[in-house]
Amino acid sequence: MRKLNRRTRVVILTIFLAVVLAVFCILGMLIPDEAVTGSFLNAKQPPSLAHPFGTDALGRDLFLRTLKGMTVSMTVGTAASGISGVAAVLVGIAAATGSKQADALINWVIDLVMSVPHTVLVILISFVMGRGLKGLLAGIAATHWCSLARLIRGEVLQLRSRQYIAVSRKLGKSGGWILVHHLLPHLVPQFVVGLVLLFPHAILHEASVSFLGFGLPPEQPAIGIILAESMGYISTGMWWPAVLPGLTLVLVVLLVDRLGENLRMILDPWSAQE
Amino acid sequence: MALKGLKYMNIRRIRLVLLAAAVVSVMTACGSRGPEGSKDSVVIAIGSEPETLDPTKGWGHGNSPIVQSTLVKYTADLTFENDLATGYELSEDGLTWTFTIRDDARFTDGEKVTAADVAFTLETARDAMGSVDLTYMEHAVARDDTTVVITLSRPASIFLNTLASVGIVPEHAYGKDYGTNPIGSGPYKLVEWKAQEQIVFTANEDYYGGVPAISHVTVVFMSEDAALAAVQAGEVDVAYSSATLGRTEVDGYHVEAFVSADNRGFTLPVLPDEGRTTETGAPVGNNVTCNREIRQAIAYVIDRQQIADVVLNGFGRPAYSENDGMPWNNPDAVIETDVEYAKKLLADAGWADGDGDGTVEKNGLKAEFSCVYPSGDSVRQAVAMAAAEQVKKIGIQIHVEGTSWDEITRRMFSEAVMMGWGSAIPNETYYLYRSGGALLDDFYNPEGYQSDRTDGYLTAAMEALTVEEANENWRKVQWDGTTGTSMRGECPWVWIVNLDHVTYVRDGLSIGEQPVHGHGHGLPLIQNLHEWVWVE
Repeated sequence: MRKLNRRTRVVILTIFLAVVLAVFCILGMLIPDEAVTGSFLNAKQPPSLAHPFGTDALGRDLFLRTLKGMTVSMTVGTAASGISGVAAVLVGIAAATGSKQADALINWVIDLVMSVPHTVLVILISFVMGRGLKGLLAGIAATHWCSLARLIRGEVLQLRSRQYIAVSRKLGKSGGWILVHHLLPHLVPQFVVGLVLLFPHAILHEASVSFLGFGLPPEQPAIGIILAESMGYISTGMWWPAVLPGLTLVLVVLLVDRLGENLRMILDPWSAQE
Repeated sequence: MALKGLKYMNIRRIRLVLLAAAVVSVMTACGSRGPEGSKDSVVIAIGSEPETLDPTKGWGHGNSPIVQSTLVKYTADLTFENDLATGYELSEDGLTWTFTIRDDARFTDGEKVTAADVAFTLETARDAMGSVDLTYMEHAVARDDTTVVITLSRPASIFLNTLASVGIVPEHAYGKDYGTNPIGSGPYKLVEWKAQEQIVFTANEDYYGGVPAISHVTVVFMSEDAALAAVQAGEVDVAYSSATLGRTEVDGYHVEAFVSADNRGFTLPVLPDEGRTTETGAPVGNNVTCNREIRQAIAYVIDRQQIADVVLNGFGRPAYSENDGMPWNNPDAVIETDVEYAKKLLADAGWADGDGDGTVEKNGLKAEFSCVYPSGDSVRQAVAMAAAEQVKKIGIQIHVEGTSWDEITRRMFSEAVMMGWGSAIPNETYYLYRSGGALLDDFYNPEGYQSDRTDGYLTAAMEALTVEEANENWRKVQWDGTTGTSMRGECPWVWIVNLDHVTYVRDGLSIGEQPVHGHGHGLPLIQNLHEWVWVE
């Protein structure tokens, strides 16, 4: 390791993190639905070799259920941050390149959305859309684009005042050409990092809204559901349904966060050469 | 280093706060017991708040209202004894009831309870069209101060049951806010009602039945797991709990499990899916469960004792009907678990697993359907999933889904529901099976069961002049020798378990001889409050 320079190390770590997360996701998808059904005859078993996370009150294996739940969470995270990422880019660019009024309007909308606590807004939107995966996705996507959009807008405004852009324009290049050749290359790193950092946010919101009962239906293996169910038994001393899946969620969120930080170090011009 | 020091200080501070919290909770625990030697108060935690304390609008439905008193009351073995009434006569045609009432009963505002109050109460309850069903009462008239004559449009054998749950309200002090500000002649009077928090009652010193031993009663509303935490902290004396939590031992408390008529079972649509909808547009019928052999096979394959022992932790008993253990129950409704018989039922009707996927089919139709339950109800979820697991071994797939009550109201006519019913009144049977009640959204008969034969017995039971005659007909509803509503008959319901009502009680408190509890989140517990007493 010592022979490698810092940048290479970061790249390797990043790839490693990405692989771990991918394995998590694929494992969850490979688990058949029957494996999470369980039998009520072996309910409430503490962690053991056969059931690393123990079983819940209905006899379902919590390890498999947690893995499956993480896959659901990641799907929600990917889709929601994807949608809000695209929305953020479009809105950000429109705000920065459009008319003054459009910019003011978009900024006003961003302020409006950000002034309401995320969780409340996600619950409202999810509820109106009939809960379930669709409602959650819509809710999370609709609330998470703002900060990234603001970031992109700022970046575009800054780039537009740069000299080489002014030169390009003087040389007669079209707006589209400038967008593709000057603006986008600078925006892509910001966008990718923003996207990755949105991801843990989205997962946590999915879990918390499901926990409160406004998200996914109770049969769906999801971390929020598992945690919500565990609350009913925690006073009887059943700690494992709350602790182990909860820790797994924290672990995955930390991994993704780390991944985002590393990506930023690699892509950001300020630290890319270190 | 400085950082480390800060951390240590924080931990020490946190410990101090925890210690303080513990001390405070121990002190409040002592406080709720009252000063030593004068134990006359209890704190009770129950699951749900009553909507009103107005008996004409349903307060005390199925069990006695403690603020008001009733004409007659239940004994622990479900017969009747006089309360406000001193006697009654029934005319030979069963239409005219004449009650005489005691003249020493007073409302807590000092006014006398008169026959006019009784008549007023019954007429108000009839006109309110609430959960008190008095549609068969024509009028109630006070003949003098202590005699009231009630005329019915048809004989009703369940009239005494209804009277036992309708508390008498004062005509002179009855208004719109009566439900939150009641005056009655019962053993307790309301002191304070903080919505969603607590109700405080105090003993009625002038109660004609003797002053209750417990003079201060605080009823707090909390969820089952919060109630258990309160028990562990010693903050409540009595707490309504559940089968899933009741095996947790707490020092200074014992668990009492009360027999209840509170049951859980599947409702299975008996009509085929012909594209019909109800008036509200909900789809009607299910092509799998409309076959009697499917319903019966499910009924016979379920091992009820296993579910009661494992899922309910032993806090429950197998259920075979809506009224197990009641005087009007038919013992023939009981069936034995018999997997081979269940398989034979399916095979004889032509259901077979042709493609080897573990699910039987007939004419291309797979034996699978959904069963919905209100999400958040862990007991219903566990019972439904355990039953589905058992049913799977004869090749029937039940997909258990948790959802909201709104959604259940839309789906219950075409899919199975993990339903709960049960009260200690025979008219439950009438509402569950009458043809006129089929496919209404009152949750009684969503399966669409209709039968002229059953209607005949139901009418005969309702209009019977004696309790014996009524009970005979209630039993025939379930099984008359050839058919009936029980699982060996038409089987619109597959009954699974009766829940015991699990209650934590502080050692030293006697909560009397509890009558059979109906369905109702802890409220049935307090109906005999005046019998409670601290014995040590």
